Amino acid sequence: MLNAIKDAVRKSSIHVCIVNCGGCNGCDVECVALLSPRYDLEQYGIYVHNNPREADVLLLTGAVTEQWVDNLKRIYDKAPEPKIAVAVGNCPQSGDVFNQEGGHVHAPASDFIPVAAAIPGCPPRPSEILEAILAVGPQAIADRGREQE
Amino acid sequence: MIVPIGPIHPALKEPIRLKLQTEGEKVVKAEIEYGYVHRGIEKIIEGKTWQKGIYLSERVCGICSYEHTQTFAETIEQISDVDVPLRAQFLRVITNELDRIQSHLLGNSTFFKSMDHETLFMRVLELREYAMDSIELLTGNRVNMGWNVVGGVRMDADERHFKPILENLEKIEEGFERTRALFAEGPALALRCKGIGYMSKKEAIKGRAVGPIGRASGVKEDYRNGHYTYDDHFDFKVIRRTEGDNYARTLTRFDEIPESISLVRQAIENIPDGEIRTPVDLKSGYAMRKNEAPRGEVTYMIETNGSLIKNISIRTPSIANMDSCAKYMIRDVPTVADAVATYATSDPCVACAERVAITNEAGKTSIKKWDEVR
Repeated sequence: MLNAIKDAVRKSSIHVCIVNCGGCNGCDVECVALLSPRYDLEQYGIYVHNNPREADVLLLTGAVTEQWVDNLKRIYDKAPEPKIAVAVGNCPQSGDVFNQEGGHVHAPASDFIPVAAAIPGCPPRPSEILEAILAVGPQAIADRGREQE
Repeated sequence: MIVPIGPIHPALKEPIRLKLQTEGEKVVKAEIEYGYVHRGIEKIIEGKTWQKGIYLSERVCGICSYEHTQTFAETIEQISDVDVPLRAQFLRVITNELDRIQSHLLGNSTFFKSMDHETLFMRVLELREYAMDSIELLTGNRVNMGWNVVGGVRMDADERHFKPILENLEKIEEGFERTRALFAEGPALALRCKGIGYMSKKEAIKGRAVGPIGRASGVKEDYRNGHYTYDDHFDFKVIRRTEGDNYARTLTRFDEIPESISLVRQAIENIPDGEIRTPVDLKSGYAMRKNEAPRGEVTYMIETNGSLIKNISIRTPSIANMDSCAKYMIRDVPTVADAVATYATSDPCVACAERVAITNEAGKTSIKKWDEVR
């Protein structure tokens, strides 16, 4: 009963924080496009806070640069439970073009924090990002909540 | 007291740390801490072919990704003494100006978001989607277009592309006038914008502010003026203002949009028939080119040994604009909230700025010579 109420509440209020850990900001621009009236993120009960202390979902973009090696874990720890991390774009998954000789990146992001879902693309379309958050968000947050109890 | 803002903060879309030194509510000094997005792109490009280099140069920055590829391609063309077909030059102008429209709208929307004006934020983003549609229709991608190659452009376009683009431009124009008036004449925003974040022309030149940020303070440089395509075939007006405050910077970006729309119309109207790509016989050498990105002057210096890139140096406008923002604009801003808004009007693009790390030992800035750096 309690779990059912929790699930229902969490499903309709997902708070998102975009964490750019060193990318070209193409994915961040597409996340901003999600706020536009065409996609209107808020009608699905998703709210972009950009504040890790209030976030349920951390949207990771970028290939984890030198500065983010320690900071990524710290930002993740700041978010309250239950929380999930979703990797947007190729960078957090593989480092994309930056992960080769001469680059200063430490991809993948899953080496540092647990990543629940990944959206490939360079950058993925806004509709794909939206679809991914809606598809995995509520269930993953609920599962994570059960684990904590 | 020092108030740190960032690297992850509701008002910032990219990681950067602003250190604001405050006296009461007033901000007296600001410092920007870079280094969160340094990926080492220049080093990766070294020793690669141009096909790989142009792909990487597009990923220097996601918002103004187009201008990077064009400047890269034009630099290699200059080294190899190639003339790009006129049709390709016109197609480049169309994409460049569409990119400028979407970038300016995004820059202004970020400012309205930092001012907490949701109505204008939504309206501006709504207009931006039409520009994004046009870009996607023409090139196939929304952000990283992959449109330029050395010697021309990747694909040809015809009536099927031009007609919907013209329709989209009409839709932008339809909503644009009212949105601009809402900002320029609305009392609520003007009170918080006028006279805030002032930078004089002298300071703008001293801080090397470029693009709309410099032009809002009275600097007249627009590198489209020296570009061969724009000089020979296009008419446009360089927008300049003299106030140098947040209001002027936002309005400069707004006013450049009709100019860009008119440039796209001119290009579609007068586009000549012919080839879109010419075969290039790569030569070795060194060249430097400057172009006007949405945020100002972007410079590429490339040295090749024929097939491979020996050395590349990229200078982007954001580093100059953000530095002059920290030095001159934020100084004497009345509140911390206004300092964040002022930072947003300088249209910062952190990913652009982060390629070189300058070591600063004991407060001394060491300027390295070109030979030492490579």
